[in-house]
Amino acid sequence: MTTKQLSIQRYLPEQGSAPYWQDFDIPFDDSTSILDALNYVKEELDGSLSYRWSCRMAICGSCGVMVNNTPKLGCKSFLREYEGPVKIAPLAHFPVEKDLIIDMEPFLDHLAAVQPYLINDSGLINGSGESEETFKQTPEQMEKYKQFAGCINCGLCYSACPQFGLNPEFLGPAALTLAHRYNLDSRDQGKKQRMPQMNREEGVWSCTFVGFCSEVCPKNVDPAAAVNQGKVESAKDMLIGIFKG
Amino acid sequence: MAKQTSYFPELKRDWWLKHPYFKKYMAREATVLPLVFFLVCLLAGLFSLLQGAQGWQGWLQFMQNPLVIALNLLAFMASLFHAWTFFQLFPRVMPLRAGGRTVPPHLMVLGQWLGVLVVMVLAAWILMGGL
Repeated sequence: MTTKQLSIQRYLPEQGSAPYWQDFDIPFDDSTSILDALNYVKEELDGSLSYRWSCRMAICGSCGVMVNNTPKLGCKSFLREYEGPVKIAPLAHFPVEKDLIIDMEPFLDHLAAVQPYLINDSGLINGSGESEETFKQTPEQMEKYKQFAGCINCGLCYSACPQFGLNPEFLGPAALTLAHRYNLDSRDQGKKQRMPQMNREEGVWSCTFVGFCSEVCPKNVDPAAAVNQGKVESAKDMLIGIFKG
Repeated sequence: MAKQTSYFPELKRDWWLKHPYFKKYMAREATVLPLVFFLVCLLAGLFSLLQGAQGWQGWLQFMQNPLVIALNLLAFMASLFHAWTFFQLFPRVMPLRAGGRTVPPHLMVLGQWLGVLVVMVLAAWILMGGL
């Protein structure tokens, strides 16, 4: 079995403050994912390595790492795709807690800020409200937001976004995409509450359409499109605001 | 429990040199630089027109300088490159629907290039003394 060199960025806060690189030789074949390689390191070579993972099939969104400077899900990228040594670092633009483990708190705060859930006071929420009736939605109505609903909250788009890297206050691709997704949902009435967040300078207007977020998204959500559609909505909202006084 | 100490890697000024995708993005943004030169030329032309015949002749001579021609040619190429990138982004920002269906992105891109062609032909017609 051939081997490949893996350079992993280590950070052990209890042993010193500076991160450093550690090399490992990993036996691999065509089916060896980056996550498999990390598991091999942990089980066979160095049990002190820390990283997050769970589902192994690009659904849980927890195994995001930088692979050769590009944000990737460990389970969805494979050693066979890389020539030469592979550099693995924690997701960029987030505080690093230990080794490949980042602090997701800033991301989760931004998500919560846009209220990414159905806001509707009709009592028809999937039968859990007062009424026995459930929401009705046509396929055409669902088509409007379906693509933007595929987000698994992995945070890769934040690591791809230089604007978030330069200003951590920027709400960022995933949060703005989810805001747009719920604004487009025919069952939702919360647009009025979300627009002030999107209208802020740290809202949609901090985006300069670099577009790398959409390149790295493992679920093809196209957050760059959603954020920039959000700019159109924000501009409309501001214009209407001016005319209403 | 006290929060574990973490480190926060800062984004350096040369962040855009670290990935080919960011270099391409910066190339797109940099197209504004030769365009600024073109606009300054245009404004200088208007100003020289106000200065009278001599000023105007001076400006015409300036515009014939090979370096100025080269820079304006660069501005032209840059604006075409910017249009090429912008036209591709447009269908994602403003998806159009016609007859209950989304208009295919490549048709929207084609439509925009047709628009450019129409404007160019119109401009050429006016410049050739069509009016």
